[in-house]
Amino acid sequence: MTAEPGVAGPEVIVPVVGKVLGGRRRRPSGEPPPLPWKLPASTVWYATVIVFAVAVEFVLVAPALRPAVTRLDDGTLRLLGHLRSGVATWCALLVEKLGTQQCIQVLGWSTIAVLLAWRRLRRLFVYLTVLLVVVSVSTALATAQGRMRTGAVELIGPWQGYAHPAAPVAMFAAVVVGAVANLVPNGRFRSRVRAVGAALVLLLAGARLYLGVDRPTDAFVALALGGALSVIAYRLAVPEEAFAIGYRRHRTAHLDITPARHAAVVAALADQLGIPAESVEPFGLAASAGSTPLRMTTRDGAALFGKLYAVNHLRADRSYKLARMVLYGRLEDEKPFASVRRLVEYEDHLLRLLRDNGLPVPQPLGFVEITPEREYLLVMSFVPGARDLGDEPIGDQQIDEALGIVRALWRAGVAHRDIKPSNLLLAGGHVRLIDVAFATVRPTPWRQAVDLANMMLTLALVSDPEHVYRRAVRQFAPEDIAEAFAACRSITIPTQLRGRLHADQRDLIGAFRRLAPEREPVRIQVWSLRRLGTTVGALLLLGLAAAAVYAYARTAGLL
Amino acid sequence: MRAIRLLLAVVLATPLAACAPADSPGLPRCTAIERLGLIAQAVPSASYVPCLAQLPAGWSTEAFDVRRAAMTVKLVSDRAQGPAVSLRFSRSCRTAGAAPFPARTLGGRTYLRLRTLRPRFAGTLIDAFPGGCVQYRFDFVRGQHIALMAQLQSAVGFRSRVQLRQELRHRLGVELRS
Repeated sequence: MTAEPGVAGPEVIVPVVGKVLGGRRRRPSGEPPPLPWKLPASTVWYATVIVFAVAVEFVLVAPALRPAVTRLDDGTLRLLGHLRSGVATWCALLVEKLGTQQCIQVLGWSTIAVLLAWRRLRRLFVYLTVLLVVVSVSTALATAQGRMRTGAVELIGPWQGYAHPAAPVAMFAAVVVGAVANLVPNGRFRSRVRAVGAALVLLLAGARLYLGVDRPTDAFVALALGGALSVIAYRLAVPEEAFAIGYRRHRTAHLDITPARHAAVVAALADQLGIPAESVEPFGLAASAGSTPLRMTTRDGAALFGKLYAVNHLRADRSYKLARMVLYGRLEDEKPFASVRRLVEYEDHLLRLLRDNGLPVPQPLGFVEITPEREYLLVMSFVPGARDLGDEPIGDQQIDEALGIVRALWRAGVAHRDIKPSNLLLAGGHVRLIDVAFATVRPTPWRQAVDLANMMLTLALVSDPEHVYRRAVRQFAPEDIAEAFAACRSITIPTQLRGRLHADQRDLIGAFRRLAPEREPVRIQVWSLRRLGTTVGALLLLGLAAAAVYAYARTAGLL
Repeated sequence: MRAIRLLLAVVLATPLAACAPADSPGLPRCTAIERLGLIAQAVPSASYVPCLAQLPAGWSTEAFDVRRAAMTVKLVSDRAQGPAVSLRFSRSCRTAGAAPFPARTLGGRTYLRLRTLRPRFAGTLIDAFPGGCVQYRFDFVRGQHIALMAQLQSAVGFRSRVQLRQELRHRLGVELRS
């Protein structure tokens, strides 16, 4: 007996692809994701310019073709020569100063200073690399081509070195593109600055043609190298959507909720989770560094909480784990995530695990894909009317609930690893635990003990240590508390909690240690070959980076 | 893994940065007519253009810098045990106090001005010709100085501007202005 297509027994199989089924829909093959990753359309034009520049290089090395190109170049310069006048020459000589070493150095070092001041290290690294590439390629081409200046017109401006490519134009274009791409925030203002920058670069190229010191092909290849190549490099290495530029004193890891991203989030929620979201807005940005927190409202007025993760968050996580490895040794989970998808999958899994173990965490609703392998949104229930634990005094019930959270974490075999006031919410008189991104299953034992110490310290900030200790011994053995404070160090306390402890006049850690039974400090530093290797590697990296920066600056004409 | 990749990138980038030529390479050979054309453009009045005739063993040239009005380059010998010979090609030179030396260019004059004889053989050799001149500041160790002076003179040759202009026009279709 054969089944009729589309029919399985009494139930009709409805194709999910491309159709709404219970609010959810599978994206058919070939359909773009909610927010497709694509380079700006103008990138193709810039790439075309580079291809033409490469073609020019090949033509110039062909003995049969080089004289023809030179004749064409010289013909153009002769035409330009007819335009020469006293005023025009004075203007051209003035504009030509843009390409001087001094001007390029001022612009280059200013860009480096701003990037360092705002700690945009990735942008700085890319900027230095681009300058190095432009200078190296430019010098190599000049040496290989060995082209003399034109003889068609009198050279009436300053010049230096071989003619091809026009090195001052290439360098000026590279520093201008670098400054605009790395320092100016996206938007209308950047468009204006970009237009001004492009005009200055073209003016410099034009002035040098007028003065006869460059030929058109020299200027063209220089523009391709310093301009087009730089633009493509920045678009690929530090894309705007992941490395947005801003000068407000807030975390820079957050993604802008542009209209396109807003629409993509709404569409993804509807298709992938069947959630009819209407509004998506940033929420509590100040408290979050590892993701972009969002508050979403559905059509029926329900609120949801989301954490938008992107490539820059993945990189931040990797740097964080590398630093932890060097500072503390190999802990239980310092392996970086391989992709943004893995990062989100992990947090979603942890949320579900803690929920299944009865912990008061937000209800996990899954995650949606915004841009494959680049952007994902983790969705969970919103805790309405919640305040940070630590904003106001608390009673015994809240203290017991908070301590009960640690008890439940221990029972589940999990360490939260980031217990601090902003990760403990008070809502409707009950304590809720949030942000489980750093949590780990089956951790090193002292890590779980530290969770208890951090919880007791958080509670003591809005109560007093004696009272918290009295409540704690109802759920924990005094030996557990002794272990917690024997493992407690400055480096095991989250930054926010450490800051509040610092601001508090009382010696809370000392108070708890006096209350608990005496115990030798727990050794938390773990030395291993891996840690030694990583530390030596990191130091070597720093030393080499310093040497490389010096070499870059020297080679790039910045010294 | 990322740290390793970054480390590798820096390790590879450092020598790249260090090796990237901060200065152009050495003095062009006398047969490289377009490169010599650029040197000729630096001093349009000069009737001769200096070039690398034959680099003796143990010698190298570096820090070649050509710009409007002058060309400079350094000639280094591994036997000189001192600073490199500094060559400067420009429109004019000061010849006061210099003794005549056998001329090295047709229609030109060569001078030698010694600064010290001992403990080192140091001074300036000057090739002057219509519209230009070449100065060589040398500082050689005694004992090797005679051979080094001979090698220096054999290393640097000259192309006449007239001949260079004709070759550039015929072979490359390029004009060389005076």
